[in-house]
Order: sequence, then C-alpha cells, then structure tokens
Amino acid sequence: MKRSYVIKRILYAVFIFFVVLTLNFFIPRLGVRDPAERYYPPQGGMSDIEYKIIKQYTREQYGFDVSTFQQYIRYLQGLAHLDLGTSLRPGSPKVVDLIGQRLPWTLVLSVTTLIISLIIGLLFGTLAAWRRGRWQDTMLLNASTISIALPSFFIALMLSFYLGFKLELFPAYTNPNMVAQFDWSWKAMQVVLNNAALPIMSMALGGIVGYSQSTRNSVIAVTNEDFVITARAKGLSHTTILYKHVLRNALLPLATSIGMSISGLIGGAIIIERVFNWQGMGTLFLEANSTNDYPLMMGIMLFLSTFAILANLITELFYAILDPRVTVGDRR
Amino acid sequence: MSKRRVLLQVARRGGSILTLFKKVWQHPKGRVGLIIAGFLVLVAVLAPVLAPYDPYDVTQRAAKGLRPSWQHPLGTTITTGQDILSMLIYGSRVSLAIGLSAGLALAFLGALMGVMAGYIGGFADNLIMRIVDVLLVIPTLPLIIVLTNLLGRSYVVIVLVFVAFGWTGLARVIRSLVLVLKNSNYVKAAELAGASRWYVMTKHILPGTSHLIIMNTTLTCAGIMVAEAGLSFLGLGDPTAISWGKMLAEAQGGGALLFGAWWWILAPGAGIFLAVFSFMRIGLVMEEIFNPRMKTSSSIHKLFKHLNNTYLDEVFRSMEDDEAAEPAEQPVRVNPFAAGSGHD
Amino acid sequence: MTDTVLEVRNLKVAFPSAGGVIRAVEGIDLVTEKGECVALVGESGCGKSVTALSVMKLLRTPPAVSRIDTHRLDGRDLTRLTDREMERIRGKDMAIIFQDAMTALNPVMTVGKQIDEVYRRHLRLTKKEARKRTVSALKLVGVPEARSRANSYPHELSGGMRQRVLIALAFACMPKLIIADEPTTSLDVTIQAQVLDVLKSMQREHDVSALLITHDLSVVANMANTVYVMYSGKIVERAALKELFAEPLHPYTQGLLASVPRLSDRKQAFVQIPDTVPHPLHKPSGCYFHPRCFRAGDPCRQRMPRLNGLEDGRQVRCFDPLRQERETPS
Repeated sequence: MKRSYVIKRILYAVFIFFVVLTLNFFIPRLGVRDPAERYYPPQGGMSDIEYKIIKQYTREQYGFDVSTFQQYIRYLQGLAHLDLGTSLRPGSPKVVDLIGQRLPWTLVLSVTTLIISLIIGLLFGTLAAWRRGRWQDTMLLNASTISIALPSFFIALMLSFYLGFKLELFPAYTNPNMVAQFDWSWKAMQVVLNNAALPIMSMALGGIVGYSQSTRNSVIAVTNEDFVITARAKGLSHTTILYKHVLRNALLPLATSIGMSISGLIGGAIIIERVFNWQGMGTLFLEANSTNDYPLMMGIMLFLSTFAILANLITELFYAILDPRVTVGDRR
Repeated sequence: MSKRRVLLQVARRGGSILTLFKKVWQHPKGRVGLIIAGFLVLVAVLAPVLAPYDPYDVTQRAAKGLRPSWQHPLGTTITTGQDILSMLIYGSRVSLAIGLSAGLALAFLGALMGVMAGYIGGFADNLIMRIVDVLLVIPTLPLIIVLTNLLGRSYVVIVLVFVAFGWTGLARVIRSLVLVLKNSNYVKAAELAGASRWYVMTKHILPGTSHLIIMNTTLTCAGIMVAEAGLSFLGLGDPTAISWGKMLAEAQGGGALLFGAWWWILAPGAGIFLAVFSFMRIGLVMEEIFNPRMKTSSSIHKLFKHLNNTYLDEVFRSMEDDEAAEPAEQPVRVNPFAAGSGHD
Repeated sequence: MTDTVLEVRNLKVAFPSAGGVIRAVEGIDLVTEKGECVALVGESGCGKSVTALSVMKLLRTPPAVSRIDTHRLDGRDLTRLTDREMERIRGKDMAIIFQDAMTALNPVMTVGKQIDEVYRRHLRLTKKEARKRTVSALKLVGVPEARSRANSYPHELSGGMRQRVLIALAFACMPKLIIADEPTTSLDVTIQAQVLDVLKSMQREHDVSALLITHDLSVVANMANTVYVMYSGKIVERAALKELFAEPLHPYTQGLLASVPRLSDRKQAFVQIPDTVPHPLHKPSGCYFHPRCFRAGDPCRQRMPRLNGLEDGRQVRCFDPLRQERETPS
C-alpha cells in the first residue's frame, strides 16, 4: 500500500521536473524575438554585411542555427549527460564545474544555519509551549513579529557594522583569499569559521525565531488534543507524555517546514552572500546576472529547481514514514 | 478544534470589512498597527510636501557625509550629499505602492484560483494545483533576477513577478476553505434550488472567504515589502527610483560601515521595519479576532494572578446548600409530563 | 457487606473567565459501592464531564479552580496527593473511558503499544509480557484477531473497535473504579448495543465499580444500579434505577423520561422541556430549573432548595417534588 504511494510521488516529481526543465529552456527566450540576440556582439563600426556574417557565426557558435525543437533535443541530451551548458566566461568553463566549485561554500553557510536554527528553535519552542502564557512565551511572540519585520540583510549589515567594524570580533567582509588558500588544514578551517560567523548569525536569527514559533504552536495544539488527556488518565509520567505522545505528534508538521527550508537552502543565501561578499552560489548567480551569462544563470536555475524537487520528494516520503495516516490518496 | 471548524469559524466571524477594522482598532496591538500603517501611508502620499529637500539632489557636494543635525535630521549620504530624511520619506512611496498593489493583485488572483480550484474541482482543481506545484519548486529570488534581466529592471516587472508567483500561497489556503464551505448546508441548499455555479461562487462562497482573504493579504503585503527591500538591495529595482532597500545597498557600498555612518543604515532599516511590522500586527490581530483560541492563555494566566481569593471563596460558599430553605406546601398541579395526557 | 469504592463529598468546580466565574459543579456528592454501577445523568453542559475529570484529578488549575471536602478511593484519601502520586493511581486503580475514541487515541502509535504502556508503567512488565497481556485484554473485549489488530493504528479501526480498545485500556489493570464518559454517544446505534454489552459484562464479571456518565437514558436503563440526575451543576435527584424510572420525583427527571419516545407510548406529540439549559455564566435565581418547571412557585424563584434525603434512601432537590402526584387517567 505504501509502495504505490512512493511510486506515485516519484513519478509526479519526474513530471514536475520535466515541466520545470522545459520552462527553463524557454525562459531566456522571453522578451526577444531572436533568442540569439542576447549573444550578438555590438555592431560597432561593422558594415551590415559583415555584421550579418558575425551574427550567423554567433548563432552557429551557440547552437541557435538549428530549429527550436532541435535545440530542445540537444538541451535534453546535454542534461542526460549532466551537462548544464557552457558559461560565457573567459575560458568557457562548464556550468557544472562552476557550480561544483562554489556549491560547497554555500552549503557551509546554509547547512550550519539550518542545524543551529533547528536545534535552538526546537528547544526554545518546546520551552515556550511548556511555559505558555508566561514571559518566555510572550517574548517569543514579540520576537517573531520583530524578526520578520527586520529583513535578514539588514541584520547582516548591523552585525557587520557592530561586530565587524566596531568591535572587530569577526571580519565584516569575507576574506577574498579564503577560497584560494583553503587546504583542509586546521588553520584554514578556522579562517573559514571566522568568516562564516557573521553570515551564519544573520541567517540563523530569523531561522531560530521561525522554528521556535512553529514548534511552540505545534506543541500547544497537540497538548490540547484529547489523546494527551488520555495519556494523563493512564497515569503515564510527564516525560513519557512529552516525548512519546506530544512531541511525536507535534514534530510532524515541522518535518514539512524543514523540507521547505531545505529546498530553499541554496537560493536563500543570495542576499547574505552579497552583503558579506561570500563566494558561494549566490554570488555566482549575481555575477552571471551582471555579465548576462545566460547559460550560467539558467544552469543554476535548473540546478536549484531540481534540488528543490528532490528535497520536496524526500521530505514527502520521509513524512509518509513518520505519519501512519498518510495513504495512497492525494495528501492535500 | 478540528481544522474544518477552525476554517468555518474564520469564515463566519468578524462581520463586514468595516466592522473588522473597527475591531482591529479596538484591540490595543491592532490600534498601534493601524496608526503606524496609516502614518506611513500619509507620509507616502504627502511626500513632496513633507520632505525638506529634493531627495534626488546630488549637487550638494559640500554636504556630503554629514552627521544628523537640525538641518539634516538624518544626516546626508557620504557619496552624494543627498538628504537622508527626504530619501526616507520618498522611499516610503515605493515600499507601500509595491506592497499594496502587489498584495491586492495577488489577493485577487489567489482568491480566484483558490475558489475555482476548490469549488469547481475536477480538472480545474487538478490543473491549478499542478501549476502551484511547479511554481513552488522554482526558487523565487533567482527567478526574479532572471526576469528583471530579460524584461528590464522596473518595478512593474517586480510587481508582476510577485503576483505571478505569490498567488500560490493564498490559493491553497482559500481552496481548503472552499472545500469545507462547499459542503456546508447553505451552499448545498442554494445548489439544490438551482442556483448557477457562478451565483453560488460569488454570493455564497466568496463572502465566506472574504475574511481569510483580507487577513492573508495583509500579511502578504508585509512579506512583499520585505521581499521588495531585498530586491532593491540587490539593485534590481528601477534605477531611478528611491527605495529603502536601495538606500541600504548604497549605504553599504558608500562606506557607511567604514565611516561609522550608522544613521544611513538605520533610517531605511527602521522604515522597512515599521512598514512590515505595522502590517503584520494588523494581520495578526485579525487572525486573533477570527480565531479566538489563538488568544493565548496568557490572558488566563493574568486572570489567575489577579484573582481575588475572597471573591472565589464567596463563589464557593454560595454553592453550599442553604440550611434555611425548606420545602413548602404547594397545591396539587396538573402534570403535562405524565404518560397518557396526549391532548393539550 | 458493601464497601464504598468512591466517595466524593461536596465537589465544587469553577472556571474563572473574563466574563465572570463559570460555576461548573456546585457541591455534589457521589458514592459508589463495590461492584455498583452509578449513573450520572444530565444534558450537555450540566457539568458531568467536569465531574468525571475531577474524580480523576485531571483538571488543571488554570483554568479550573476546585474545592472538595472528601475524595476517597477505596478508603484512601486522594485530596492531598500530588500529581506525581496521582499518576500511580490513574490507570491502575481508577481509569476513564472517553467519549470519542478517534481523538482519544494517539494517532501515530499502534493501539497495542498504547495498551502496553499501561502495563509497563503500572505493573512494570517487560515489552513481551505487556504485549501478551494486551492481546488477552483485546480478546476479552471482543476484538477479533487480537494479535495482529494490536499492531493497527487507530485510524485503521472501525469506531466500535476503537471504543473496545478504550475499554480494554481502562480495564487493563483491573481498576477499582471505571469512569465511562459518554462511552457510546459517538457510535452507531447497532454498535452502541455491542459496546455496551462488552462494558456491562466486563464490569459485572470483574466486580468493578463504574461511574457512568451519559445523557442517554437507554444506556442508563441497561447498566446502572443507582442514578444521579444532574442539572446545571447540582444534583437534583438520586434514586435506585427502578424507582427512578417508575416514579421520578424531580420535575426535571420526569421531563427527561417523558421526552424519550417509546414505542409503547400512547402519546401523540413529542414532549419537550421548554427553553434550554441555563448559560453557566448566567444562572437563574433560586432553583436553577424554575424557569422551565411547570410546578415553579414563589420559593422556587427565590431560594435554592436543599438536597433532601427521603426515608427510602432517595434524594431530591425540590420544594415540591412529584411524590404526591398520582397519574390521572384521561
């Protein structure tokens, strides 16, 4: 019974993947009639005939000389070989290589932030729920409203200013040599940690508050359920009730939001990376944008979307394992 | 309370829109939100009147990087000598305009999609939900960056993208509510009486969802304002406009950190904060109004703290059987409850 | 020689709220002898469920405030016991069956594990031993294929099956007192009968005392020995089953009995007690029932009558009970 659910979900994910893939192919063609237009060099002093030849050459170079359908097929073939295209940068590096270089650096920030936010958020959320109505709870509620209103990049700037410039506790800007000098030595790791501290803090603040609030709400909702009274009526100890009954139910909706966080894990760091000039996927994308490097941009987009699809799929399947009520039918 | 009942409660409580705002006003936190939001709207509308200087004026070379003073209450920018207070005032126009317009358009689209998906069901539902799934997977920020690259850096594009991708959240929520409403008695009665789909949708379902829409829209506006600030910070907005996010980017790029010009950073940050905070407050208060159980037991705790013990004792004492009450003699009465008396 | 299993005297429960103090239970006494089934009857909102929770000491102090003079289980004084100490009694010496089995069970735990819990907690059995007992408990309440059913989740079982699980849960350690709060209300009529049979036989065979809380008089007629009638927080009548049904003394009781349609009725119209139960924040003056009582007189409007004990052991709270009435043939 569960097996057909799994298969259904996987097939659906593949379907979505193809839709996204196709969209990804067509998006760069928006806004212009001739998709190769964006690749033509400026005419400058060339005569019209010369320019026509250059344009034709450009079209051939970037594969626009064949029909759209054939371009699409080539695109799919490339994907089958895990080729996301070639960047327009000098040296024509492959998109996948560029992503491979920068991705780990983004993950350093995002994964650490996620883990910190989760652990602290869960702990504090449960505490707030337990002390419902008392000051810990009210403080959390206020913190929630405030933290959403204060965008993370603003917090980043403030942290950069106070902890970075004024108090000089951490570097206000990422050391530009950090990536090049990294050699897996303990010293290099310390440099990374030092530079990562402020970005992580900026992102984690919002995350902690968010997870605390969700956990708190979830725990309170569950504590009001009848089966908790039944558990008390059975004479079970407080700890047993908390862990086996309350938390096991309260953490279920949390699994879904964790999944959502994971799918946004990479793309969400763009602004923070920009603030601190951290050389990760975010800044890579922004660089691609400023140089109109369309293959790179769309390659990253596809990568991010695929990652999101996978993350969602895994979350759904994981949730199905946790919650026995999930059946074959659509869970909406 | 089951999810179904919660949704129904949200649909029924609150009265018309005007009474809703009245109720928000009566709530102390809501009042604060309304005041701040109203103030910001006023500032945005009256910007040309309120701003002491022309915010675009970059000719004041001598006034660069001034600290806050009487002439320039928030100082001036380091790079161009623009008056920060005036920029702040004009910046409110962008945030509020985008927040409100995108929010409202999004509300319209999201509600429409949600109602159609929920009420018509079947193919429409399937189609809409699949579109939602696809849109959810594509990362929004990178997409906006790509689209502004392809279609030009203007706020129109940004608003369109917000609307095109933001309607999914509202649609989902509305759809859940509509599914519940669809099964309620008054809708079924209308359908049985022969009302057309369109009629039921507009006259019955839509009013039932109105509160959810308003509440959700308010919170969405808040979210959009934060997102717009982020986009402007990245430089994706209209290059000629002044926006709070852009001010933050310029502050960082202009060396506010290096020279310690914290007011340049604080001002737009405070602006963003106030705008988002006030809208959020309003939205949260609305949620409390619709769903009273959310009013946490902090009120109960407070109640208990101030509980007068003698009053409680009084209450309990009054429950005792009064010794003095004795059964009195009463004349015989006819008993309508006795078996056998079937006629009145 | 009867022993008293449950003795509750002068239980009062109030819920302070922003609009005033809700007087849920206003000084009631409940006594249950060994092997006896005592029914607490009343409409919704009269305070029955609050009473049930109070007997188990499950009410939390915000939001409830309660006072009680005597609270004994099998002679043991429960009033001063802390929550920790009560944990050892709940589920073991005293158990409760809730109304809605779907919400009363943990949705992410198998029913077997939920029953195992009780054994492991109170009897300190190992996993294996507990599971053995669980399976036999399920068999006892009539769950077919008990061993495999024990691994089901609550949502996989039918309503009647779930209710049986709750019964098994309650009887697991053979407590001295079982409280059944509307045990059959959420079930279909045919299933009701089955579940009721199970409950009745369990109670009778194992000589367990029961406090049956319900608004359904047919359930009362089926199971109870003694009946307490509750109205708006107060006990208005107490009698042995047969006597209550044959000769109700309180006008409310008579109204309740009369409003149940029976096939043998010669009446033509439905009988109703006019108006509705009083709002817990705005109770009437004097006797709470007087606005709906056809016999209400002046003292009824001014003072609350005492709960008077009569010579035959019955109790009634009325200035003018129905004793003097004789049915007048039409």
